[in-house]
Amino acid sequence: MKQVEYPAPVKQLILQLKRLPGIGPKSAERITVWLLQIQGDSVMKSIAESLATAELEIGECEVCGFFATEEGCGICDRSGRDDSVLCVVEQATDILPLEKSGAFRGFYHSLRGRIAPLENVGPLDLRIESLITRLKSTAFEEVILALSSDVEGEATANYLAELLAPFDIKISRLAQGLPAGGGLESADELTLFRALEGRRTV
Amino acid sequence: MLSSLELNQFRCFESLRLDLQPGLTIFVGNNAQGKTSILEAACAVLRLQSPRTSTLGDLIRMGPGAGKGFSVRGQYGDCELSLRHTAKGGRKLAVDGENQGRSSAYLRYSGLVVWIASDDLALVKGGGSTRRRYLDFMASQLFPLYRPALKAYDRALRSRNFLLKRDASPNWAQIDAYTKILIENGGVLTRHRSELVAALAPLAAASQKQISGQDESLSIEYQAASGTGDDLAAELLRRRPDELRRRQTLAGPHRDDLTFMVNDMPAAKFASEGQQRTLALALKLAQSHLFIGKTARPPVLLIDDVFGELDPDRRNALMEAWPEDSQKLVTTTHLDWLDSSRVDARIWKVDSAQLRQA
Ligand SMILES: [Zn+2]
Repeated sequence: MKQVEYPAPVKQLILQLKRLPGIGPKSAERITVWLLQIQGDSVMKSIAESLATAELEIGECEVCGFFATEEGCGICDRSGRDDSVLCVVEQATDILPLEKSGAFRGFYHSLRGRIAPLENVGPLDLRIESLITRLKSTAFEEVILALSSDVEGEATANYLAELLAPFDIKISRLAQGLPAGGGLESADELTLFRALEGRRTV
Repeated sequence: MLSSLELNQFRCFESLRLDLQPGLTIFVGNNAQGKTSILEAACAVLRLQSPRTSTLGDLIRMGPGAGKGFSVRGQYGDCELSLRHTAKGGRKLAVDGENQGRSSAYLRYSGLVVWIASDDLALVKGGGSTRRRYLDFMASQLFPLYRPALKAYDRALRSRNFLLKRDASPNWAQIDAYTKILIENGGVLTRHRSELVAALAPLAAASQKQISGQDESLSIEYQAASGTGDDLAAELLRRRPDELRRRQTLAGPHRDDLTFMVNDMPAAKFASEGQQRTLALALKLAQSHLFIGKTARPPVLLIDDVFGELDPDRRNALMEAWPEDSQKLVTTTHLDWLDSSRVDARIWKVDSAQLRQA
C-alpha cells in the first residue's frame, strides 16, 4: 500500500514556508497546519494580499537604501530632519533602532552589507559608489559610521574612513559598547543612544 | 575546586556523573577507554576550550544513538557551570542555571586550568605554534581582554592573507582596513605576552632547578615578531615588498616565539632529552605558580598520561613541586609508580567509558 502523504498543495506550502529565514521543516509544517485549520477569519487571503502588495509597492530608496513606496522614502522626503549629518549603516534594518534611540535626526545611508572577503563581499558589492555621489552633491558636515563592532564592521569603517578622508567632512564612529558580533539591531535603545552621543572623530 | 562533573554525549561518554575530591584523583585504564576525555571535559567546562581541538563540535559523541550536541556540567566552588554545544554550532552557557551570553561573563565564575600532557615535549622540540598556544592558553586565563583580541586578530589575519593571495594586484586600501585591526589587537597580544613571559621566566628557572635536582640554569626569551620597538605598523610597511612577493602577512604576533636556553645553550638543539623533558614540565609548573601568584587562586591541574612516562626522580620532583592547594586530576595506564603508602589518592578504573572506584 502506498504511504499516505499530504496533498500536493499542502506540500508546496510547507516547501515555500521553509524558504523563510529561521523556519525549518518542523516549523513550516506547524504553520501550514495552523493556516489550514484556522476558521472564520480569512488569514490566508490577508497574508497572500499583503505579500502581493509588498512585492508590488515596496522598493528600495535609491538615495538612502531604506524601504520606499511609490510615494517615496519616509526618511529622505521628510522635511525637518537635520541635513548636516549623515549616518552610514550596514543594513536598512539598522535604521529603525537608531530612530527609536532618539539620539539622531539626520539622514541615513545603508551600505546593504559590509566588506567581508572571507564571505566574498567586497566594496563593489556595497552601496559605496552612491555614498560618494551623495557626499559630492550634498553638503553634509559630519558622516557617522554606525557599523557593527566585529572585525568586518571595523574593517568596513576603516576602509570608509580612508576613502572619505579627502572630503572636507568630519568623520566619526560610534563609541565602543555595542554588542560584539551583533548588528545595531541587537543593541538596546539606551546602548545606541550612548554609542551615538559618545561618538569619536576619526 | 571542581567538586562534581557531569558529561552527556561527550566524546565516548553517553553520560557520566562523577563526584570529585580535593587533592589527587587518578584515572587508570588502557588507552582509548575515555580517561583523557574526562580531563578534557573538565577543561571544557572550566575554560570553554579544549587543548586537543580548536572546535568544540569535535567533542560531540559519535556513533549509534549519538545526540545532536554535548553538555558538560561542573560544580566549581559555589557555582554550577554548564556548557552545552549543539552540532549546529550553537553554544549555551549558564551559571547556576542563569544563561550567560558572553564567555567573559561565564568565565568570571570559573577557575583556572593547567594542562600537563606527555606531548608537552613539543613545547621544546616542536614548532612555534605550540609555544604560542601555550602563551595563549595562559594569557586568556589571566587577562580578560586577551581572548577577544586574539579572536579579532585571527579573523583579521585570515581576511588580510586572503586578500593578499586573491588578487593579481592586491587592493591595499582594502588590505589596510585589516592592517589597522591587526595593529590594534596585535598590540594587546604583544603587551600581555611580554608581561607574562617576564613573570614566568624566574618561576620556570626555579622549577627547572627543582625538578632536575641540579644547578641547571634556564632562561626564557620572548621573541616578538612585531619589529623593533614593537612598532607593528612600521614593520608591516617595511615588509610590504616582501608581502607582495610572498602573498602573506609577514609580521605580527602570529609569528612570535619563545626561546629557551638551558645552561646558556638553545634547548631545542643542545639540551639532552632529559633536560628537555624537565624543561617541558618546568614550564607547566611555572604556569601553576604564576596563576597562584597573580590571582591567589590555585588552578586545577589536569595531568594526562605523564606519570607512567616519567622517570622516578622527575615524578617525585613533580609531586614535590606542584602547588599543594591545587586539585589534581591525573590519567595513567598503570599504577606501578604509585606508592600508596606515601601518596593519598582516590583511584578510578576506566574501562570502555565505564568508571568504577578502585
Ligand atoms: Zn531614502
